[in-house]
Amino acid sequence: MSVSNLLLELGTEELPPKALRRLAEALAANFTAALKKESLSFETVKWYATPRRLALYVKALADKQPDQIIEIKGPSVKAAFNADGTPTKAAEGWAKSHGIDAKDAEILKTDKGEWLYIKQDKPGTAAAALVPDMFRQALAALPIPKLMHWGDKREEFVRPVHTLCMLYGDQLIPGTILGVESSKIIRGHRFLGQQTVTIDNADSYVETLRSQGAVIADYDERKAAIKAKVAELAASVGGEADLDDDLLEEVTSLVENPHAFLASFEERFLQVPAEALVYTMKGDQKYFPIYSKGGKLLPKFVFVANINPADPSTLIAGNERVVRPRLTDAEFFFKTDRKHSLEYFYQRLENIVYQKDIGTIAYRSTVVADTAAYIASLIGADENLCRRAAHLAKCDLATTLVTEFTDTQGIMGMHYAELDGEDPAVSKAIFEQYLPRFAGDAIPTEKVPMAVSLAEKAVTLTGIFGINMLPKGDKDPYGLRRAAIGLIRIAVENGLNFSLRDVIAKCAEVLGDKVKAANTVDSVCDYVFNRLKAYYQDRGIGAEIFQAVLSVKPQSLVDFDQRVKAVQKFKQLPEAEDLAAAYKRVNNILSKADVVSGDVNESLLQEAAEQALVKHILTLKPEIDSCYQSGSYEQALTKLAELRADVDSFFEQVMVNAEDPALKQNRLLILSKLAAILSTTADISVLY
Amino acid sequence: MMSNTYDLQTFQGLIFTLQDYWMRQGCMVAQPFDMEVGAGTSHPMTFLRSLGPEPICCAYVQPSRRPTDGRYGDNPNRLQHYYQFQVILKPSPDNIQDLYLGSLKELGFDPTVNDIRFVEDNWENPTLGAWGLGWEIWLNGMEISQFTYFQQVGGLECFPVTGELTYGLERLAMYIQGKNSIYDLVWAKTKTGVVTYGDVFHQNEVEQSAYNFEYADTDFLFKMFDQMERESAELLKLENPLPLPAYERVLKAAHCFNLLDARHAISVTERQRFILRIRTLSRAVAEAYYHSREKLGFPLCRRAEEAK
Repeated sequence: MSVSNLLLELGTEELPPKALRRLAEALAANFTAALKKESLSFETVKWYATPRRLALYVKALADKQPDQIIEIKGPSVKAAFNADGTPTKAAEGWAKSHGIDAKDAEILKTDKGEWLYIKQDKPGTAAAALVPDMFRQALAALPIPKLMHWGDKREEFVRPVHTLCMLYGDQLIPGTILGVESSKIIRGHRFLGQQTVTIDNADSYVETLRSQGAVIADYDERKAAIKAKVAELAASVGGEADLDDDLLEEVTSLVENPHAFLASFEERFLQVPAEALVYTMKGDQKYFPIYSKGGKLLPKFVFVANINPADPSTLIAGNERVVRPRLTDAEFFFKTDRKHSLEYFYQRLENIVYQKDIGTIAYRSTVVADTAAYIASLIGADENLCRRAAHLAKCDLATTLVTEFTDTQGIMGMHYAELDGEDPAVSKAIFEQYLPRFAGDAIPTEKVPMAVSLAEKAVTLTGIFGINMLPKGDKDPYGLRRAAIGLIRIAVENGLNFSLRDVIAKCAEVLGDKVKAANTVDSVCDYVFNRLKAYYQDRGIGAEIFQAVLSVKPQSLVDFDQRVKAVQKFKQLPEAEDLAAAYKRVNNILSKADVVSGDVNESLLQEAAEQALVKHILTLKPEIDSCYQSGSYEQALTKLAELRADVDSFFEQVMVNAEDPALKQNRLLILSKLAAILSTTADISVLY
Repeated sequence: MMSNTYDLQTFQGLIFTLQDYWMRQGCMVAQPFDMEVGAGTSHPMTFLRSLGPEPICCAYVQPSRRPTDGRYGDNPNRLQHYYQFQVILKPSPDNIQDLYLGSLKELGFDPTVNDIRFVEDNWENPTLGAWGLGWEIWLNGMEISQFTYFQQVGGLECFPVTGELTYGLERLAMYIQGKNSIYDLVWAKTKTGVVTYGDVFHQNEVEQSAYNFEYADTDFLFKMFDQMERESAELLKLENPLPLPAYERVLKAAHCFNLLDARHAISVTERQRFILRIRTLSRAVAEAYYHSREKLGFPLCRRAEEAK
């Protein structure tokens, strides 16, 4: 066996930039899996990607599969032949499917009987013969949300395909994929270098493309180059560029030969809130904004082009020309909005429907205000400030700037409130009502923003559950999942200990007859607590721990969290598994028995083991109760672990189902006390 | 080096240059459709001809109306009536991107000095039941064209695929002429002096904006919408259906909807319903048109065979 390097390149029209890395990585993963499946040995698989190509480079790929000996067991000899010695239908069918005659099959003798048997040498297939199909399938399995046709061809891909190059060392692997025949001729940069480039060897792919085709095939190399150059240009004007990774990736995916240039816009635009300018610069134009060391936006930006003209003046002037009307729009919207205070826009919310069965956005704001004021009373926030923030919270939705640049909701409200001289807590809350917006986003950490943000989410959940518009599958138009996770994170991470049920009940009360579904409060609470499962999963905490705590139905998210953490520690104790088993056993016995109540009669305690257990429970009870009082669940569970020896000897030495009914009753009572003490933190029986 | 003789420093020179270029690429130059449409895609040459197997190569200017974009002539970048230059090629040829880039060279843009980029932009028109994949074309960061491979029109799969190129003429002209306002564009240099875009259309923008936002009779528009909807459906129910007039009724209804939208006469929830009603009509027209061509034996397929 010998090895060579393999190059696979598919040349296409411009691929979607936001999907490029994902496509290339998936292609590499798919092809790697195929190599393994085909038992073709190799050292590494590296992917390349530009707007117009997806490529793979496989280092030291074996020229063929290893030879194999194939052993196939068939029907038993008894079932394989008729009385006259001719093969049965079953035997014939089996043999035929493996390409032999039944009579040519060998016999496999074991101590269990005799079977027809085929033993074949299967020489390995040449890699070159397998590669086209493997590449075809790896491409077909790419995660492409929308496939397309082009021309009058039946093939489907992300974008039309023009070239295919499959090279094993310097050997062209023939084949046709997506309607294109394999060739050593591929395309270079659209406008620079040679339009077509001949690749003679898999190993010269990257360098030939670079030197003749003016294409940098390596994605990470382009990205690093862009990042360094953007940072350098920003530093040249004493600033720092916003090197947002998503934007870097998008720009990297839009160019084959990146060159960064510095450009400016008029300083007068800086009176517009920076976010509005940045929104259009990054989102629409893919420009990198530049900030001063103090974090103020500078009237400069860096853009990345796919060409490098000797005189870039046309290019720079062109880009500056494009951004001007966009910034002028932002400035116009800002000035239009600032003719009024933020509060002025509230009246317009009375005409904007939030949801037809719930009402307008203005109405919804009143519900949030009442709920926020209630939460304020629970967590010690200023009620009036909470009401004020909730009242203003949605006003920016009616401003022209937010209507045009929807992603700036909350941000503009915050700036306008600041300009109006509202209390800083109020303007902060207007922005932070939407936090957290995505996984890992910041959360409010001050009282007023916390109360408003919690209220915002509670109202969303209660309102939408109340009209029975529950999320289905992937469809969650009102963002209920995000709202639930937001509630959890704000409460748990800030340690806000309040009853979720009380808050949801308050929402439902304020919403009044808008809540039509039965048991809305229960449904919302269940929904939120169930979201905790995913929350804990993300933090590596097992579902059984979540389930154990869910079973005892804590009312507060913080309390839930404290229990989860305690159970997590408890589970690591050596006694935990035995106690869980014992608790399960106790439950089984109790579930079969009649209801028992009352106190244990100590005079009926006959066995030493039951005396010891009762004594232990009685001493532990006040200690554990005080642990619960203070929320020290971990301590409580550690104390419970001390019970293990006594519980074990109880079950070893004491017969619960005694003949004497009084004795039996008393022992059941012991168990019920034990159960009560064991289950207060969590249902430990589900831990194993 | 330009191969044509038209003055690109005029709006009309830009149109002539594009027409001339695409004519040389083998396109027929069609004339604008004589009804109010929101975009060149609604011209029957695109909407209907993209259906079925019959080939077509066609270029035309289409005046387009978007009532909500009216700004009373105050905004230098927005108009409620503007022009698109539309090219449709079916089946989309393998070198369609190169053909497009050729047109930019014809307009004087050297791609080694001007940064020309194909940036993903997928197109969808809910009222036409149509979607496609493609790009917006950037020239030094400015979107100057839309490029779409139609995948579905009127709810029907497009096969062969139509490639649609749409140039925003005003933007392109502003770039070429170096003007910051649409109204300052030179339309033509005539015997009686320079005529600007503003000379031709400023008053129109002022008056039409007032009509669109303030005076359009909403009761009448609602009635007209219903009437057009009814008529369109009935024309398709005839023993010999009339998809072409039925399609014109759909365009009328769509324009009524756009005006009602500009008058804020349609609430958010109703809006969705209106769009759905238009889409239902578009789909029915698309199917009826397809059947009518099928009945005729797709005559343009034969013609294309003969041309080979």
